[in-house]
Amino acid sequence: MSTTATGETSSGLGARNVTVSYGGDPVVRDVSLDIPQGELTMIIGPNGCGKSTLVKALARIMKPDHGQILLHGRDLWSYRGRQAARHVALLPQNPVAPDGITVRGLVRRGRYPHHTLLRQWSPDDDAAIGFALDRTGLSDLAEAQAARLSGGQRQRAWIAMVLAQQTDLLLLDEPTTFLDIAHQYDLLELCRELHHEGRTIVTVLHDLNQAARFASHLIVMKDGRVVTQGPPTQVLTTDLVAEVFGLACDIMPDPRTATPMVIPHGSLPDDAR
Amino acid sequence: MSRPKGFLVLGRAVAVPVSRVSAVTGLVLVVLVLAACVATLSLGRLGIPLADLAGALTGGAEGKTAFVLERLRGPRLVVGAGTGAALGLSGALFQTVTRNPLGSPDVIGLAAGAGAGAAAVALLLPGAVPVPLGALAGAVLAVTLVYVSTGTGFRNAGRLIVAGIGVSAIAVAFIQYVVYAVERDKATVLTAYVNGSLSARSWEHAATIWIVLLVVTPFAAAIAGRLGLAELGDETAAMLGAEPGRTRTAAVALSVVLSAAAVAVAGPIAFIALTAPQIARRLTRGTGPHLMLSALTGALLLVLADLAAQQLPLPGSLPVGIYTLALGGLYLGYLLIREWKKGTL
Repeated sequence: MSTTATGETSSGLGARNVTVSYGGDPVVRDVSLDIPQGELTMIIGPNGCGKSTLVKALARIMKPDHGQILLHGRDLWSYRGRQAARHVALLPQNPVAPDGITVRGLVRRGRYPHHTLLRQWSPDDDAAIGFALDRTGLSDLAEAQAARLSGGQRQRAWIAMVLAQQTDLLLLDEPTTFLDIAHQYDLLELCRELHHEGRTIVTVLHDLNQAARFASHLIVMKDGRVVTQGPPTQVLTTDLVAEVFGLACDIMPDPRTATPMVIPHGSLPDDAR
Repeated sequence: MSRPKGFLVLGRAVAVPVSRVSAVTGLVLVVLVLAACVATLSLGRLGIPLADLAGALTGGAEGKTAFVLERLRGPRLVVGAGTGAALGLSGALFQTVTRNPLGSPDVIGLAAGAGAGAAAVALLLPGAVPVPLGALAGAVLAVTLVYVSTGTGFRNAGRLIVAGIGVSAIAVAFIQYVVYAVERDKATVLTAYVNGSLSARSWEHAATIWIVLLVVTPFAAAIAGRLGLAELGDETAAMLGAEPGRTRTAAVALSVVLSAAAVAVAGPIAFIALTAPQIARRLTRGTGPHLMLSALTGALLLVLADLAAQQLPLPGSLPVGIYTLALGGLYLGYLLIREWKKGTL
């Protein structure tokens, strides 16, 4: 295993001079980074900074225009689709639950990378699905229709699907977006538990205070580039928040967790950013 | 090894998902198709009496019975069942790609395009090009026109349907032009290329449709799982390694080939491709593309429609395409009422 730029052990997933676009201007520009092993990494940055696009590239959903995504030293696109999906899972922002699918049916879809054309079931399936349902607290709702779940339950069902995939790396793209505040913390707690069990997790997140409290590693992006990365206490400064988000703020230790807490004053004029 | 529920397991190498409700529904459909076949062969003035049917089918047909079985109703029935299955499968593939019940080959102009291609080679260049190839070229041209003219591929259902209506209208106008230019007063010829008909089919037609069906079905079965994953949205399917883009292209290609073959042997028979997958989906209430059940439902619908075409006491023996058109009209009416009740219209 190699070492990342900031000194941690690499998880084996990283980007080398990656540029990604949707046909027009690049959204991610010449990004190089390594996802640190065993950390709960959170990617923050203003709207349109390329954080979602970067995780899509890392999960083999979008192909870079230039540069390479590396998985254990090999170009991610040289793997077959299912092979890559046994290493990296991503919960996208807007997954679609098909009509009539049950929670168990949804979670089972996460087992696809472990199947073959003729063998669409493996003896590990039941254990993996059971574990995923258990960890997300959905065991009692396994036979329920996904469409009938509450927003918080449905998001946990999707997390269960990517957990059933049994990958070393779990990427989540803004998993808290449509949840109320209590369910947001539920979900972040679940991420933290999985992280404490040794899993490597990368989450795109909007809320700076949540990111500062839960992340063990922060990646800050602006205009398609990585501005800085490292532990939240080192990374989050008033200058950084002013520069990246255009927001004047105070930062003080959170009285409960001693992690940095951002207290905004208001947005800065454009020339001060 | 524990036995998984809802899977068909053969040894250690094969385990494919077959839910109990799908298996039972499939069996019931097979029985109904067979019953409709027996009725087609035995009803009416020229029908083979039930008592003689078994003997006739096992090779003991003579005289009038042989004529009815081998020339009059036999090929027509075999073509009808194969065409219905091809249309049902084609519709299921296309509707899964477009994620819309109206995004089916007969609505978006694919069938009319195939009809135009078939009419062009059969009437303008008789004998120079095989009719199925003409139908395939017409279908490919129509689907390409629709794909390009929407500007967003098959993604936007509204645009897809509008483009399909346009391409359909052009194709039908072209068929009418060709028929009037070449045949002038033969209404039956026009009907065959615009509405579809099963009258006067030969064993060659039967061989064409069944060979295409037997070749395409394994490929369709092979992509069924990945098509099911595409229902989770493209990004989820891509991150699971199901290659949604390639899967869609394959599904559209298979659907075009099936539709073209169906049109080549029976003309653009309407609404089987639209309704069969929807009926199959409602019968099982499950998820997934339901490819095999859609094929069986399509076969059942077309054999029944043709039975009606042959036996209903209406003047002038209407072609089967008129009956499926009526069936489709009823189905669209049902859709409208359902959407209206749900308040989404």
